[in-house]
Amino acid sequence: MILTFLRIAFLRLRNNPLELLLVFVMPVLFFSIFAMIFSQGIAAGTEKPVRLGLFLPEDNKDSRALREQLLQKTSLICTDLRLPATPEQQQRAILDAQNSSHYDLLLQLPSDFSRLDESRFQLRLITDGQNAMATAMVKAILEEYYAVQRVQVVVEKLQDSARAAAKVAAERAAAQRAAAEERAKAARAEAAAAETGRRLPAVDESEGGGQFFNNPTTPEKVFAGSGGAAPLDQVVSDGASDRPTDVLAPPADAIPQEVEAGTEMPEELTEIVAADELISQGAVPQISVDNPQASDQQNPRIAMYAAGIAVLFLLFACTGHAATMLEEAESGTLDRILVSEAGLFQIVAGKWLGIYLMGCMQLTVMFVFAEFVFQIHLWRHLAGFLIMAGSTSAATASFAMLMATICRTRSQLQGAATVIILSMSAMGGSMIPRFVMSDRMKELGRWTFNAWALDGFQKVFWFQSPLESLQPEVVVLLGSSLIMSVATLLLSGRWRRGI
Amino acid sequence: MTVENQPILTLQSVRKSYRGRAALQGISLQLYPGELLGFFGPNGAGKTTMIRCICGLLKPDEGSITLRIPDSFQGSRADRPGLVPQNLAVYPDLTVQQNLEVFGRLEGVRGAVLQQRIDEVLDWSALNDRRRSLARTLSGGMQRRLNIACSVLHRPAVLLLDEPTVGVDPQSRERIYAMMQELTATGTAVLLTTHQLEEVETRCDRIVVMDHGQIVADGQLPQLVTASLGLPHRVELSFQQPCAVELREFEFDEQRLTAVCRLSSMQQLPGVLEVLQNLPEAPQSINVRSFGLQDVFLALTGRSLRE
Repeated sequence: MILTFLRIAFLRLRNNPLELLLVFVMPVLFFSIFAMIFSQGIAAGTEKPVRLGLFLPEDNKDSRALREQLLQKTSLICTDLRLPATPEQQQRAILDAQNSSHYDLLLQLPSDFSRLDESRFQLRLITDGQNAMATAMVKAILEEYYAVQRVQVVVEKLQDSARAAAKVAAERAAAQRAAAEERAKAARAEAAAAETGRRLPAVDESEGGGQFFNNPTTPEKVFAGSGGAAPLDQVVSDGASDRPTDVLAPPADAIPQEVEAGTEMPEELTEIVAADELISQGAVPQISVDNPQASDQQNPRIAMYAAGIAVLFLLFACTGHAATMLEEAESGTLDRILVSEAGLFQIVAGKWLGIYLMGCMQLTVMFVFAEFVFQIHLWRHLAGFLIMAGSTSAATASFAMLMATICRTRSQLQGAATVIILSMSAMGGSMIPRFVMSDRMKELGRWTFNAWALDGFQKVFWFQSPLESLQPEVVVLLGSSLIMSVATLLLSGRWRRGI
Repeated sequence: MTVENQPILTLQSVRKSYRGRAALQGISLQLYPGELLGFFGPNGAGKTTMIRCICGLLKPDEGSITLRIPDSFQGSRADRPGLVPQNLAVYPDLTVQQNLEVFGRLEGVRGAVLQQRIDEVLDWSALNDRRRSLARTLSGGMQRRLNIACSVLHRPAVLLLDEPTVGVDPQSRERIYAMMQELTATGTAVLLTTHQLEEVETRCDRIVVMDHGQIVADGQLPQLVTASLGLPHRVELSFQQPCAVELREFEFDEQRLTAVCRLSSMQQLPGVLEVLQNLPEAPQSINVRSFGLQDVFLALTGRSLRE
């Protein structure tokens, strides 16, 4: 019996070229417009992996676990960096790393970080504010990784004034380098010797890697950290990485200490200078990351826009198809069907299945188009796509059926659905990427299908996360689908009563 | 008409209320095999509620509805009534053939049997040459015929039609009634709700009038007229001046400008008119008419607007 309803849906679609156009061509058209806009803008060109500088404590097993996770992300190129012991030196090292332009972001983890007491800690993502997309991506990866540990990821943005001050300090320090040249050379030689033994297995020395670890250090001196967009005051704080970040003005100790010309440079500062020189020379040890997927992928972010547009149109298309219930009720067709062998459950299930399959087809058409035109590597991410397409279609089909059951007329449904869908799409990221939204809006967006669906597609096509990572999105989408389907069945008795 | 003695459908004291408002107040009704029953009443009288109860869409609060399938229908899926809603209850985006296929499947008719029934029904409804046309491209009369055809694929023992001839031309109307005659000839009982009183008068075997959730009249037209209006024929005389002469069998109004006489048969008319020869002044007009269903309807339900 349910197959008969599928046949009705199929025949109606096949016999109606205009509807075919609206369901399958229109979303592709809109997506193409969006893709063209963004392919000339923030998502332009071949996608490069995000360069992430890691200030992670080496003797901390939890820190090492995080590092291993990050290394698995093909969308990241991770570089181990060393953070000195004193706050002044730390602040200087962070600023220097940021100024070196070798990193899109810096990640810092407190040296005493422990998963057993992880709620005390904050992970610091440090950025110069130039790469919002990268910041959003790394923040999402970290939040995903630490989702169950309640670790807070704080994005910090270096302020221009502090950076300028840092530059001035660096220039003064450079003047002092001449006086301490001999000692600095000795330090570099020592660091080079030490690096050989400290190099990590995956280190790529093609860019002079290894020299950065020349300076001897202790576990206590090593910080964990990362780059993202956030205020400088956190970056230049006293080193307590779990400190709140709501203070915008840099603290008094934010500026590196000046060293008078002619005086001998302290040993610690000499180490920093050495590191700074290495960074400025590009002699940064870079961990080689095998990135077969992203290497020839034209633009994985395009997949995100495909998902955004697809979900938006999916909601409209599903609601439009669910409106056939109201159309049939108004014409008496539903009464005729209710009198037949088909029960109410079969009618609702058949309608739901028809809408669900149409949704799956619509998403497939959209992503196949995106694959052929924008090379989003659909085939490599096929399993993830199928999981997300199925979950998203299920949720939207249930939403549409519930809306059709609640509304009394087609005009009611049309009006209510338009408002709700556009609101959900705006908050959920179908219109505006979620990473440009405030945290509050992001939280609100979590109440929409779009957000969960887009997060899932983002993980599949952009972060290239493993399938297991889709569990939260799939659970939410399928769970809400189940709840709405049950509600639809409970409310569907009104069809029998003819009200 | 082939009417067997045993009713195919029996409603016994059926009651149904919506939020405290009584829609059906103890309806009792029988429908016999091969019978074409005209069912009518003012808007809001409870007709739709009664039909929904018969179809099983609504459960009565009290009373019972019994369907007894004659032997001639055994083996078919006749235990479910066929329902023909007032609006075009087919899929406009599907062809005639596709509509018949999907509604046949929904009624549980499959395979070769379904194809055979579709061919039969297409012939019966004179839609064979339009079987591949989309329903929305058919004329109003064709759409009405398709609407009926979709309800008989499973050979129901009872067919319920809600105003099947609204908005169709006389030719299509004739065809629709011919279809119903053919159905009743096979033993199917047809319950027809309509406001086309003339059609009910001339086409239906029996007439039921419903008002305020109750059946207020049930029978053939002469019986209804007699029951509700008395003698079925009426002679009315109008005078310019008050008539001073007494006329046997006529009743005058107070001004004696109008006189009315009721007849049980038109055969009495010559005798009644004969008395007019004795009048000093001829009546201004003589109006002779027989009561119809409209008179019965208004007599039973009143003239006040219901909506």
